[in-house]
Amino acid sequence: MEKNHIVELLPEYLDHLLNEAQKKTIETHLKTCNSCSQELNALKALWSAFESEKEISPSEKLKANFFEQIKLEKKNSPKVVSMSSTAFQKNRNWTNFFLKIAASVVLLVGVYFFGKQQQGQISSKEIAQLTNESQAFKQTAMLSLMGNKSASKRIQGVHFIEEFNEPDEAIVRALADRMLNDENTNVRRTAVEVLSEFTSSEIVKNSFIKALKMEKDPGIQITLIQVLGKIQEKKAAASMQYLLEQDDTQPYVKEELELVLPNII
Amino acid sequence: MEKLTDEILMAKVANGNLDVLKVLFERHHKHVFNFLHKMSGDRMLSEDITQEVFYKLMKYGASYNNGKFVSWLFTIARNSLNTHFRRVSNTTENIETIHHKILLEEEQEKDYSDLYFAINKLDASDRELVILSRFQEIKYDDLAEIIGSTPGAVKTKVSRALKKLKTIYLQNS
Repeated sequence: MEKNHIVELLPEYLDHLLNEAQKKTIETHLKTCNSCSQELNALKALWSAFESEKEISPSEKLKANFFEQIKLEKKNSPKVVSMSSTAFQKNRNWTNFFLKIAASVVLLVGVYFFGKQQQGQISSKEIAQLTNESQAFKQTAMLSLMGNKSASKRIQGVHFIEEFNEPDEAIVRALADRMLNDENTNVRRTAVEVLSEFTSSEIVKNSFIKALKMEKDPGIQITLIQVLGKIQEKKAAASMQYLLEQDDTQPYVKEELELVLPNII
Repeated sequence: MEKLTDEILMAKVANGNLDVLKVLFERHHKHVFNFLHKMSGDRMLSEDITQEVFYKLMKYGASYNNGKFVSWLFTIARNSLNTHFRRVSNTTENIETIHHKILLEEEQEKDYSDLYFAINKLDASDRELVILSRFQEIKYDDLAEIIGSTPGAVKTKVSRALKKLKTIYLQNS
């Protein structure tokens, strides 16, 4: 065996950390090797010095001081809790935590709905106000257009009625007035066409009957006859009869009248 | 209580049973004190740091990871001593001069053997290894844990340190 290897193992040999085979090898080597024996003796001297080194004791003050420190620490942190109560504490903390979350959720939802309702109230009020405003605006615009000197502007005004879902009486009357009295044929015809959408209104029906008597334009006469025939307005029969008897009524108007009259009566 | 292992006792301390720390103190404070004394040569300082080490066990017991108690204990002792030396060397004097001064002052006292003087001629890291492995009889595995190395590397380091020590010791005696 290598000499160096033996030297390396000497401390472990002294510490009794080697197995029987290693021990035997070293002991046989030592018998023949002078330098290794010297090395072993040196180590033995050091080892005995280690063994004879006395352990010294600290003063009693150290123990007293430290035990005092423990006492102080216990006083400062009296919450020396056992395992079970720690678990209980945790559980309570957990419940507490859950309740906090739940409360904040409720608060959040509550505030959301409150805000939403407020907003809804405000906006529905605003919408109603806006609707009223726009209704009023349209009405004004329509009436002013119908009073315009230009016939095309008046037609535009008449068409405005399509903007209203349920036109009020003032508008219907204004339209009927256009239908009966406007000097321009086209304006009168447009008024008839537009009003034919609202035949459920008594004002419209009556003004149609009145217009049938007054109207001289054969085209408009035919439109009126057709509208009245469609709604089968019995009160119109007299006007139609009258028109039929007039000499200046156009022949094709009379034909139309003869076609519609039997259906009404 | 006296028959329980260090590890079980320390677990009790970590759970808040501070009185159990007295048992651990009785078992180990001498070893810690002697380690510190051999490292520093200063009785008063060693007593102070020993108390500090056990105070740390109490204060930071919750961080005890159920590893080998002795390894943990000496890790704390070693760190506390290093912290002290670093603080001292930063402010006034370095470790070596303090050492020297202490040795001169207390040379006559019988606390200090030839071996002690020989050990003090080693540099700090060799000194530490020799003291922990020979006097505290800490095994290579645990020693590796304390100084943050591997058992194999520690074994090599210790045997080199012992070789140096042997030479120094035999020259002086």
